[in-house]
Parts: sequence; C-alpha cells; structure tokens
Amino acid sequence: MLELRNVCKKFGKTVVLDNVSIKVNDGDVIAILGPSGSGKTTLLRCASYLTRADSGTLVIDGEEHDMNRISGKELRRYRNRVGFVFQNFNLYGNKTALGNVTLGLTVAQKMKKEEAEEIGRKLLAKVGLSDREDYYPSKLSGGQQQRVAIARALASNPEVVFFDEPTSALDPELTGEVLNVMRQLAEEGMTMIVVTHEMEFARSVANRVVFMEGSVIVEENTAEEFFNNPKEARTREFVQRSLSWRGADDASDGTSDGTVADNAPAGIEEKP
Amino acid sequence: MTERIIQELIDSFGKLLMAGLKVTLPLTAAAFSTGILIALFVALMQIAKVPVMRKLVRVYVWIIRCTPMIVQLFVVYFGLPNIGIKFTPFVSAWIVLSLSIGAYCSETVRAAIESVPVGQLEASYCDGLTFWQAMVHVIIPQALRTAFPPLSNSLIGLVKDTSLAYNVALVEILATAQRIASRTYDYFWLYLEAGLIYLIFCSILTVVQRKAEAALERRR
Repeated sequence: MLELRNVCKKFGKTVVLDNVSIKVNDGDVIAILGPSGSGKTTLLRCASYLTRADSGTLVIDGEEHDMNRISGKELRRYRNRVGFVFQNFNLYGNKTALGNVTLGLTVAQKMKKEEAEEIGRKLLAKVGLSDREDYYPSKLSGGQQQRVAIARALASNPEVVFFDEPTSALDPELTGEVLNVMRQLAEEGMTMIVVTHEMEFARSVANRVVFMEGSVIVEENTAEEFFNNPKEARTREFVQRSLSWRGADDASDGTSDGTVADNAPAGIEEKP
Repeated sequence: MTERIIQELIDSFGKLLMAGLKVTLPLTAAAFSTGILIALFVALMQIAKVPVMRKLVRVYVWIIRCTPMIVQLFVVYFGLPNIGIKFTPFVSAWIVLSLSIGAYCSETVRAAIESVPVGQLEASYCDGLTFWQAMVHVIIPQALRTAFPPLSNSLIGLVKDTSLAYNVALVEILATAQRIASRTYDYFWLYLEAGLIYLIFCSILTVVQRKAEAALERRR
C-alpha cells in the first residue's frame, strides 16, 4: 500500500539516505532499527515530507508522488492518510488533550466541532485517557502526552502511522504504557512503521524488521528471522550486543520483566 | 501649601481625570490595538518570507525606529496639510503612535513566534494544516503568551507617550493641567498632579498585567 523508492538525501556533503527503498503492505508493523545517525529518522521524516528528500518516489495505493516536489494541496491530502508520532510528542501547548486530537479535524478537514469531539473522545478512551480530556499537555506525564499524540495521529483515520522513536524521550517506567497502546494498535491491524530502539517491542510486535546503518538498509527480514537467524554479519553483531545487555540485566536484578530492562541499555548505547 | 492650592488641586483633579478617561485612554486603546495588528503583520511577512513585502516592512521599521516620534507627529499634523491631507489632532496622534507600536512590537512578536518550538509547526503540518492555519490556531496563540510581558511594557510606555500629542493641540491630561496652571500660575502643583494621574493609570495597568499573566499561566 505504501512504497518508498530510491530515496536519497544529503545534508550538505553528508549522505544520510543512499538510495533507500522500502515496501509496506497492509497491516505490516515494520520496526526500523539501527544505530544513531544511520538515517532511520530522516527516512521517516522524508516519508511524511517534514524533510524534503533530494530525490525519491513515494507510492501510496498506486498513486505516485515525487518526494522532492509536491503541491500543497496534494501534500495535505496525503497527510490526512498518514499519521505521525514524534519523539518529543509535540502536543499543541495551547490546546487541551481533546483539543489536540480534534484540531486537525476541525481546522484542516472542516468537520463540525461536535462530530470531531465525538471522534476525539473515542480515541482518548482508546489510549486510556478519558479522564484527561481537559488537561493541557504541561499537566500530563510524558507517557500520557505520547498517548494523546497517538490519539491525535489516529484522528484522521490514517492508513499508516509513522512512529519516530516514540519512547526515547520517556522515563523508562513510562515506556510501557505507550508500547502497550502501540501493541494494541498493531493487534487491531493498523499499518505501522516504527523507528525504535526497543528491541523487545520490535521482536514481539513487529512482523518485519529493517536494519539501517550508514545511510543504507543493511538487512530487511521477518522479525523472527532477524532476531534468531540474521543474514548479515553486522546484524548478527547488533542483535547479539542488545541481547547480551539483556542477559547482564537479567542476572543482576533477577527480574526479566521485558520492556523496561530491555529499553534502558539499548537507550544508553544508542543515544548521543 | 495653602488652602487655596488644596482647593484648586481638588477641583482640577476631576478635570485631569476626565481628560485621561476621555482622551488618553481611548487614544492608548486605539493606538495599541492598531499597533499590535501592524506588528503581527510585519512579523509574519518576515517569518513567512513573503517576497517584496518582507523588504518593505523592514524599511518601515527602520524609518520609524530611527526618527523621533515628535518629528513624525509634526510631519503628520503640521506637514501633511501642505499636500492637502488634514487629520484631527486625535487621528494624527493615533496614526503616529500606532506606527511606533507596530515597529517596536514587531520585533517582540517575531521573537515570540520564533521561540515556539518548530515541532509545533511540524505537528500542525502532519495534522493537514496549512502554514497560515498553523499560525492562527497553534503558533500565534502560544507566541502571544510569551510576548505578553514585553507587550504590556509597551502598553504602559504608550500611555505615557500619548502626552506627546500635547504638541499637536490635543487636550489630553498634560494639556489640561497646562491650561489650568496658565490661569493660576501653580505650575508646580498642577504638573505634579498630571504626573499623579499617569501614575494611577499605569499602576492599574500593572496590576491588571499581573492578574492576566497569572490567568494565562493557569491555562497551560
């Protein structure tokens, strides 16, 4: 349903994306893994036109778009078909949780306020925040803010949702609530592309993994194969390193409770 | 200080206060609201990088900031009639003070808009908003909150700057005091009283500003 073809992007002289192509099928949950600076976030930002690619083609449901040039009208139409969740939430500071979810509907899509609020309430309930409708972002915890942001991304009923390191800005104990919402979305069949450092999430929720390094895709595989039987030497090293961290953690505190223990080491390892 | 002076001050207080309420405050309100609109326009032309306009607004800011307000006032009130354009004292003062607020506050507003994190704009884009929709619904409301304290400063400055209109025969607070004193020769007391009226007006604004800031703070 969504395909990126031959995406190239340079920042100055630095090549960030070197002919990257990726194909997303309906219902896919794709985890994009890789060290910092490998171009994964840029790929996601190019796919939503937040960063203009130097060249590349985007195909959505058979419609082709140039990733370097697009008219404002076409772009807005495309953006209603995709959702984007940011690393640092980017909730509108002047809107309540409900206002954040409904703004795109009322302003961009000219939907009636009551109708938009009905959708907004449903989505906030879905992410477990019905009791926070009237809270401003600054009164919400990081995990709650990110759940509101997910509800906002879902408001236009998108065909695919992009997640850009959705838990990287969160305290370790808050990542679980966000990952659970994402897991639930995946189970409902939402098509998702997730740039993440959450190995456990990638392993248990994603059906496909794309591993990027040095501005190219090193390996693309099913999640199972990727973690159990990686093709490339570099991938094997990467997987082993993240798993050995986990082993060390398990041994030290005796609790092997998934995401939190996994997350911390991966986060330390890959953040600047 | 004799009884006569005390009586004179009590009698004149009402007149000065009325001059403030009937002339100074309306002039302040008119000039400030027009000025803020100009400032917003100037800031947006620069931020949106509108061709030609962004250059023109900079010329405007340059001229207004680098010439004395009283010269501008004289040009508008005494000079323009030479080429057939006549304004009343009130309108002349309104024009000059608005242009001044517009030029000075445009930098405040521009800085405030640029202080809103770029992620707010990106999120708006992802919601399908256009640049201008994002400005109106997301960016400017947050920017004005940031700009509120410096803008209040300009407002209080403006209350006092209206006294410049004295020079174009607008009978505001200072001119009223001057007229009374020219009959009684109690310049010392009447000008002190005029100062007191400004002090009262600006003190009220200061309190209102503090309250408004607290109210804004509760809404975020």
